[in-house]
Amino acid sequence: MALQDICNFQSVFEDRLTTEYPAVPHGKKIPSNYVSGLPFSNNKSLFHFYIPVAEYLDESPIQFGQISTVQNCSAVSSEDPFLTSSSLPTCLPFASSQSVPLPFPMAHGTTTLAFMFQGGVMAAADTRSSCSGLVACPASQKILPIHSHLVGLTSGTSADCALWKRILARELRLYQLRHGRRLSTSGAAKLLSHMLHPFKGTELCVAATLCGWDGGEQKNFVDSTNAKVSLAKDERFSFSQQCSIRKKMNLSGPRLFYVCSDGTRLRGMLFSVGSGSPYAYSILDQGVHWGLTVDEAKSIAREAVYRATYRDAYSGNCVDMYHITSKGWTRRNREDLKEEYYREKERRKHEKTERRDVAFSD
Amino acid sequence: MAIFDVSGYKKYCELREQILPAGLTHLVDRTNHYNFGTKTQEFAVPPGVDPSGFLKSCNHDGGVCIEMNHGTTTLAFKFKHGVIVAVDSRASAGNYLASKDANKVIEINSYLLGTMSGSAADCQHWERLLAKECRLYRLRNNHRISVAAASKLLSNMMLGYRGMGLSMGSMICGWDKQGPGLYYVDDNGTRLSGRMFSTGCGNSYAYGVVDSGYREDMTVEEAYELGRRGITHATHRDAYSGGVVNMYHMREDGWIKVCKDDVSELIHRYRKGMF
Repeated sequence: MALQDICNFQSVFEDRLTTEYPAVPHGKKIPSNYVSGLPFSNNKSLFHFYIPVAEYLDESPIQFGQISTVQNCSAVSSEDPFLTSSSLPTCLPFASSQSVPLPFPMAHGTTTLAFMFQGGVMAAADTRSSCSGLVACPASQKILPIHSHLVGLTSGTSADCALWKRILARELRLYQLRHGRRLSTSGAAKLLSHMLHPFKGTELCVAATLCGWDGGEQKNFVDSTNAKVSLAKDERFSFSQQCSIRKKMNLSGPRLFYVCSDGTRLRGMLFSVGSGSPYAYSILDQGVHWGLTVDEAKSIAREAVYRATYRDAYSGNCVDMYHITSKGWTRRNREDLKEEYYREKERRKHEKTERRDVAFSD
Repeated sequence: MAIFDVSGYKKYCELREQILPAGLTHLVDRTNHYNFGTKTQEFAVPPGVDPSGFLKSCNHDGGVCIEMNHGTTTLAFKFKHGVIVAVDSRASAGNYLASKDANKVIEINSYLLGTMSGSAADCQHWERLLAKECRLYRLRNNHRISVAAASKLLSNMMLGYRGMGLSMGSMICGWDKQGPGLYYVDDNGTRLSGRMFSTGCGNSYAYGVVDSGYREDMTVEEAYELGRRGITHATHRDAYSGGVVNMYHMREDGWIKVCKDDVSELIHRYRKGMF
């Protein structure tokens, strides 16, 4: 076929079992040492992504709604999995699965939030995994460390998030080994966004917030923290001036990106994702500013997650908090919000009795 | 039909003749379907029209979908010194801003306030009808209607038209013999008494702020500030809320209008690090 010739299909196919490294610096895929079909085989083109073959899904014991009427598609994809990726919309096996209902409805209930401030990035999330009315796991982990200076908050389908986080971690590690330096948060966000792009329009649902610290060499780090501390103290600077000063300084520092499986990739200072996010947003809007101390930032993050769990049924149980600085991430102990709820109830009862005592004494 | 006989159903014209003698039928108010003490309730829907069936057909995927959006933020909470009611003032028709200065609080009488969210037409009509019923009650019974009773009237009106496409989320706030009263009434017929409510699509943002800052023993100034903050942060994040904050304070001797502050100025005060 002409298309095969153009994209060097045959040569790529033959190269599959070799362990030669591509000379291309942007090679994102690992060389495959395994024999059978696998997620990312090596090929030299930038945007070739593996699409799972339809038969593999048909054989799955759990018929998850993927119907097998995509016969033409399965015939094509069995021969050349690489080519189907270039003609994505028609041949995607998942595309027609909406006509069969899934065994249980997917629901995405969570509260995750992250914001930048002078002390780095603060990330917090609840720990409830829900499945449309059922709490599937009250102690799940939604903040997944990717490497020492990058943490990902996941929202959406838990399985998708866990898988993609691992894929991203693997790709970042490979980048680090190949190039001797860590990929910046911006690059990691771009990588994740491009990896998720072929699945656009399917039922994949991943909304990840990447929080990281882009490190420079030691020298840069010292200069930037000094400058930041002095800026934080001098609040006469307006925010926009602070921003431009920071931009001029250097490319290292805290970074926050939001990546979504529908293709969104946004950089910002404050993000909150999930069904509980509106409740958290208003708390964060009230209190977050660049000059926060670390303790203040922790208490705001905790309060925001607590308020979201207070009102949202799909968020709850405990709160996880991670703080990312130039030295890497540190994790605070998981805290059960039930205690906070009882403490608040006690406080309200106390206020009420105080009020009554005052009234009686008048 | 046999069922008419068994259930005692009477056609409207028969009932009318029973209540009023034949010369005076022109005095009956045709749209006033809610009368105290009649045996059957009459609804101002012409026979043969089926609004709920029509609406169901409109909600199919891929067909025409009539979406009821509650584009607003209103909040109200009870505290030691009464009830604070705060609303935004944006009226939207889909993506078009119909008004930036809409009045979403109806002053039923000097002791009762009603907020509006949902379809503006529905809210204004039904709450004015409620105001009329409250006035009639006062004239007939020589004492003011209680907040519970007023909210029950509104809720029963909603229940009569349940499923027929009304869209209204309202809070009835007042001060009666039992003290400050706050009820939430919905187009489904929900009627809830509570300490704090927020309605509209910006309600979740307001809930976060007010839950966090609420204390039973707040001073009046603190309560005003909390109400302002709630609406301001909601208008900041929600696209369908905005304009000004209209705030009322319901006290023992009646309500007062506290302020009418532009949210774009308020947000500068509340978001320290933003600009």
